[in-house]
Amino acid sequence: MNKYIILIGLCCCCMASCIKDEAPNKECDIESAWIEGAEYEKYFYQTTEMRKEKISSAETDIYFSVRSLISLSKQIPVSFKITDGATIEPANGSMQDFTQGRVVYTVTSEDGEWQRKYNVIFVEPQLPAQKFSFEDVETQTEKTLLGGVNELHVFYERAMTDERNYCWATGNSGSALTKNGSKPEEFPVYSTPDGKTGRGVCLNTQSAGALGEFMKKPIAAGSLFLGKFMVDFVMSDALKATQFGVPNGKEPVRIIGWYKYKPGEKFTDKDMKEYPDRTDEASIYAVYYRNTDDNGESYILDGHAVEDLDKLSDNPQVYKVARVASLPPTDTWTPWEMFFEGRDAPDGLVTAQGFSLALVFSSSKQGAQFEGAIGSTLYVDEVEVLYEK
Amino acid sequence: MKRNIAYIILIAATSLFISSPAEAGTLDSLQLKARAGYSIGGTTPIPLPETIRSIESYSLTPSFMAGFDAQLPLTQRWGIMTGLRLENKGMKAAVTTKAYFMEVVKGDQKMAGLFTGHVEQEVKQWMLTVPVQATFTLNRWVTLKGGPYVSFLLSKGFSGIASDGYLRKDTPTGPKILMGKREGEWATYDFNDDMRNVQLGIGVGADWQVYKCLGVSADLNWGLTGVFPGDFKTVEQTLYPVYGTIGLFYRLK
Repeated sequence: MNKYIILIGLCCCCMASCIKDEAPNKECDIESAWIEGAEYEKYFYQTTEMRKEKISSAETDIYFSVRSLISLSKQIPVSFKITDGATIEPANGSMQDFTQGRVVYTVTSEDGEWQRKYNVIFVEPQLPAQKFSFEDVETQTEKTLLGGVNELHVFYERAMTDERNYCWATGNSGSALTKNGSKPEEFPVYSTPDGKTGRGVCLNTQSAGALGEFMKKPIAAGSLFLGKFMVDFVMSDALKATQFGVPNGKEPVRIIGWYKYKPGEKFTDKDMKEYPDRTDEASIYAVYYRNTDDNGESYILDGHAVEDLDKLSDNPQVYKVARVASLPPTDTWTPWEMFFEGRDAPDGLVTAQGFSLALVFSSSKQGAQFEGAIGSTLYVDEVEVLYEK
Repeated sequence: MKRNIAYIILIAATSLFISSPAEAGTLDSLQLKARAGYSIGGTTPIPLPETIRSIESYSLTPSFMAGFDAQLPLTQRWGIMTGLRLENKGMKAAVTTKAYFMEVVKGDQKMAGLFTGHVEQEVKQWMLTVPVQATFTLNRWVTLKGGPYVSFLLSKGFSGIASDGYLRKDTPTGPKILMGKREGEWATYDFNDDMRNVQLGIGVGADWQVYKCLGVSADLNWGLTGVFPGDFKTVEQTLYPVYGTIGLFYRLK
């Protein structure tokens, strides 16, 4: 009998010791990018602009914002932190000329089987326009492993150069995680031909399906904002996924635009519990904030910071806030206006791109907490940021 | 269909109990044993794939077996044995993975990708098992046995948590979805309904009659069918139940 105990023991040991050798890495990401050297500081408004730490895994365009492309040195070394074992071409830290447009870097995984191409682009200050008509949209396609092809809309603005400036972000890439073969109109944010003038944007609150419900994220509100959506955080820290704001070297006074709104029928919370006495509301607001903190680190306003808009003014980074007081349901294009209130930003810092403008539209006010009504639909168009007092 | 076959085997097994004693000459030599045991083991891919980097913990969940069987000697040494056992095969394991293929399915939605991080998995199964084994009587006290078994699942549970890591959606270049260390930040899964209802395997063991009618036993049961059907792709590898049981028996006759 003892021999059987030994036999069982041996089997267990065998299984534990069967850990095979580690396979080479399959990933090939640029995790961060930076420019090193005091001699290059003069090309930037702020030294924080010389480092890009938060590069989303879904992002392949890396922007460096410079004072002027014309006076930019034709030889600039960009360094990268890439996945362990991966290789990059052209070489990490090599001198490249960014004055003629993007430079394409190719990262190859350690196992040699996977590649990603990244565009490194030097641009003059981020916000290229002050009037947004949402006429420019491109359809991004992504093939899923399960055989479907998702098509989703990505809004962009035309920069002064030929480059497209993707200053607008949506949560569409988060919704795409559980979609398989969906058309642009099936996403929470899409471009509609029925704008106020020309095309406009439709934002709608959707069910995130059985999988979303299972993960306690049962609804996906349509949200469009100036900034970046870091899909990386949707599971671990959803509020961190929305990174609001792009640098803006002018202090805004008010923002105007047009909307249509229809709230969905059943207001539910994150457990899909119904609240018959609550009606969904749309939300439009803007924040002007200091994009560098007291320690000289770059600061970005994320979903946590705007969780309670009433407390925004307690945030030392925040200088001004503008909110549209109410957006009553309407099925005809209706104008809205909001004024910035708060303290004045120091002029020197403003022109030095030391402030960012966050502008947020959402079809469900509490969408970040996964509260709202499926079917709530907000249309926006012809948005303009105004600077005169 | 599978269920029908299962019932036939079950009926055949029980009929052996009933019909055997009636046969002249073998009635006296029929041995009946009641047994109970404690099982340890796991539901595991064999061998472990390279995407499993380490086993952080393996905890025994109480796994019990109780049943009875009948052994019919055919010659002086050889015989045949069958019986009915109620048993549970549980497991709780924590492993770290690197690019382990996972597919999460809920309703009509699916998400597939490669997970690198921490996986905690719990398997709970209650089943009725019918072994059909050849026996070899070594001496007065020790009997060796071996043969196939079929298990009918009474309850099934296969659930887990993927945390403290990330899922690369679809391919290693897809979006990297971070998973946190706390509830609400990690992904959970349960595939209870996808598990097989019938499992087949091979068992070997020995009975050692120690004192009068009382004895101890040791068995190893090796699953030949995975706990999931072949078309189930959610977990990268086929998982086989492999359990060892140490038990006591009482010879009724």
